[in-house]
Amino acid sequence: MAAASVYKGAGFDFSNEVRNNFLSERGIPLPKATSTGTTIVGCLFKDGIILGADTRATEGPIVADKNCEKIHYITDNIRCCGAGTAADTEFTTALISSNMELHALSTGRKPRVVTAMTMLKQMLFRYQGHIGAALVLGGVDATGPQLFTIHPHGSTDKLPYVTMGSGSLAAMAVFEAKWRPNMERAEALDLVCAAISAGIFNDLGSGSNVDACVITASHTEMLRNFVRPNERVQKERSYQFRRGTTAIKKEEIRSLVVEEDITHITGRGATEGEAMDTS
Amino acid sequence: MDSLRIVPARETKAATTQDTSNSFGLHDTLQYGPRSLAAEVTTNSKIRDRLENWEATQDNLKLQMHRQVFGLHMPMRLMMERKLASYNPHMPVLPQSNVHLDILMGRDELLDTADFMMPASEMTQPLDIHADMEKKLRM
Repeated sequence: MAAASVYKGAGFDFSNEVRNNFLSERGIPLPKATSTGTTIVGCLFKDGIILGADTRATEGPIVADKNCEKIHYITDNIRCCGAGTAADTEFTTALISSNMELHALSTGRKPRVVTAMTMLKQMLFRYQGHIGAALVLGGVDATGPQLFTIHPHGSTDKLPYVTMGSGSLAAMAVFEAKWRPNMERAEALDLVCAAISAGIFNDLGSGSNVDACVITASHTEMLRNFVRPNERVQKERSYQFRRGTTAIKKEEIRSLVVEEDITHITGRGATEGEAMDTS
Repeated sequence: MDSLRIVPARETKAATTQDTSNSFGLHDTLQYGPRSLAAEVTTNSKIRDRLENWEATQDNLKLQMHRQVFGLHMPMRLMMERKLASYNPHMPVLPQSNVHLDILMGRDELLDTADFMMPASEMTQPLDIHADMEKKLRM
């Protein structure tokens, strides 16, 4: 007697798998997902963590979103930047944010960054890299400021300054030249903006504006569009036509109000005014 | 099964018609289309096997450790409680939830993709009710 399974199951439907394998063998490619092709950075300073990200989302060679938000909310004191497939990073961080909230309510304590890191790495390892999410996770909790990077296959690093995404080399060059321990807030913010700007100007997959997020023990400050090095200039000429540029040749007015005259037709005298019996 | 595996083992697939069998035990052509030997014997789906066996493998690891540390009674009691909690006399009506079983399995305060990404329940066929009931009563 086979009992019903107590396990919940994979949650994904694999019934199209045979068809997909057949199609890919025939040479028909899978559709391309929107990627973020990003520059994301995180760095440790005297009072906490600063996270930075650019704001461009690409779909192959086309810019899909000129001002997308890559710094996702996990809890009040923990944030996560996401590179890779845009949908994967958003849904993964949203799922972990919900699980962190439930966990914090259950334990009754402030959530810790290592908890979020463990949840993320275990989930990404389970999917064997098919979830294309490369994350920079940072926050300040009861044990101090922590900064982690999580790769799509589930490996993690704990470092004082990290960069991920297609512009990571450009940003890491800036960090390697100028980072030092125990920087002040203003200096660290300048460094993060310089690193992201290096990614924006030298990498095709990154662009538009710089977002930053400063996390300290007391509060978190989200600086959306902190630097805008790529603002569009106003057009020199106005392309509006003045009224009367085109001459009017014919004018016709049609009234849309319908007027009705209702004439009641009565019966042959004896049945005058008797209504129809519809019972 | 004395293994302490964390990750599901890669199994070579044996040809089987269990996935697509109808109430007679044969391949159900009406629901699943004609039989294809290639689809049954070969498999390219490492990720599918891994995902489907993940919870079972992790669970087996924990029960095996319980057995080695506390003795056979420990996993036996845990599985007995689970079996009692999963008894369901109702028809397999579409929305089903078992909080007691969730608590015993340790997932009462966890969300997974299956919890928020299932498509709307209007998409399932109404005929499934009879098939599910048949499968259930013949068990």
